[in-house]
Amino acid sequence: MSVTPEAPVSVPIADLENDDLLGAFPEGRRLVGTRCADCGQTMIGDRVVCSACVSRDVSRVPLPATGVLYSFTRLHLKGEAVRAVGYVDLDDNVRTLADLREDSIPLRPDVPVELGFDGDDWFFTPATGA
Amino acid sequence: MAEDAFVISASMIPFGKYRSSSYVGLAVSPLIDALQRAGVQKSDVDAVYVGHSYGGMMTGQRITKEIGLGTVPTVNVDNACSSGATAVHEAATAIAQGLIDVAVVIGVEKLTQFGGGTLPLSPEDREVRQGIVMPAVYAMRATRYLYENDATVEDLALVSVKARRHGALNPFAQFRKEVTVEEVLAARPVADPLTLLMCCPTGDGAAVVVLASERARNRLGAGKSARVAASVLHSGQVAEGYRDMTKPEITYQSVRDAYAEAGIEPWDLDMIEFHDAFSIAELVYYEAFGLTEKQSAVSLLRDGRTTFGGDVVVNPSGGLLAKGHPVGASGVAQVAEAFWQVTGQAGARQIPDARWAATHVTGGGTAGLDHGACTVHIFEAA
Ligand SMILES: [Zn+2]
Repeated sequence: MSVTPEAPVSVPIADLENDDLLGAFPEGRRLVGTRCADCGQTMIGDRVVCSACVSRDVSRVPLPATGVLYSFTRLHLKGEAVRAVGYVDLDDNVRTLADLREDSIPLRPDVPVELGFDGDDWFFTPATGA
Repeated sequence: MAEDAFVISASMIPFGKYRSSSYVGLAVSPLIDALQRAGVQKSDVDAVYVGHSYGGMMTGQRITKEIGLGTVPTVNVDNACSSGATAVHEAATAIAQGLIDVAVVIGVEKLTQFGGGTLPLSPEDREVRQGIVMPAVYAMRATRYLYENDATVEDLALVSVKARRHGALNPFAQFRKEVTVEEVLAARPVADPLTLLMCCPTGDGAAVVVLASERARNRLGAGKSARVAASVLHSGQVAEGYRDMTKPEITYQSVRDAYAEAGIEPWDLDMIEFHDAFSIAELVYYEAFGLTEKQSAVSLLRDGRTTFGGDVVVNPSGGLLAKGHPVGASGVAQVAEAFWQVTGQAGARQIPDARWAATHVTGGGTAGLDHGACTVHIFEAA
């Protein structure tokens, strides 16, 4: 006679515990990503499950500090300074929303960009030589 | 297989700012009017579907209890801007499956409760915590679109000019004043390249439609109706990496399925009410609706093929840009416009002999998704 096993307990994911997108890695400060050991997909942020294959065998990885600006806008919100934001497609094909800064090279779609820091703030800016 | 569902009446309040009205206050009048025009008694109603995003707990029941419409199932639906259309979809589906005969659909929203500014999004979302707002999403879409296509900011302004011209004809529209390209371009910048006049306004509204099976429609002696030829709902699919923001896949899928279900081609449509929350959306959705095979989106617009007197009138009501966009109400208001157009009740903005009408809303700013939800309906005069 077969015995039906007891229903297992599911546990909540403490996803609010560490939601900082910036992390310290041996190569320096980088955006935090998560790579799936089963299918190889890389995702933005500290994640516990792969959105492609639903594997939980995932690990925290540094994301590339360089990529290409997909698109951007300058936001003029009431009571705030004008802020440039955009989507950056990092070199490993992870897309992240990012604050943007521009110096001598103007922002435009498809411009190569690189990660920069201002204290604890991070941003992307057109890469030198772009 | 499936039975036909029909829209047999529609009512709505003009969209606008009603700070002294609650969700109940916004919705009860159009509810009573829609029932009366349909010749429907409370006892005829089999189910109530209510779309809203910010009404709080039991919004639908708070409204229906005011007229003593209880007992029957009331389903509250939140799918952001698609909430109202999702409620229509649920009603049409239940009728098509033969589960019910008469459904009341309410779309209602009060955005003035937030005191202005951009739509509040869920702070649980990563990009929301990073500071994303809906105008930024559409602005990035616009930046990329202008980069990839032979289009200019003047074209984005032209969308608003057309919307306002249509809205000027519509007594239900929040904005009834026409604007010029120059005025649109000179308006306050919101998210470059979008100016304030390229963004839908904040406002309040309520719209109600009554749907019935063929059996109930005959029993009630309903007059001219709109047959639901297609009712499609899709959810967004996550992309962790590259996504083409100028070709929103959720709308392409929904439109494809809707044309297949209705058995028609894009140019069979006499009108489309689609989700022009920001002016760039109109250009993007011309393509998604299959209108650009022979002519680019901007040339359709510039040539007047999508306005009155053209081949397919896009947003005859003024759309979200001019009629207004009280999130949960918009999808139902679009269906009301389609109903009025195919039954010849659209007054100064009537499209002659309108037979086929489509409506489209997408909803939700969610990291990794194009949109959270997309609903497309196609109606035929019946
Ligand atoms: Zn995986």
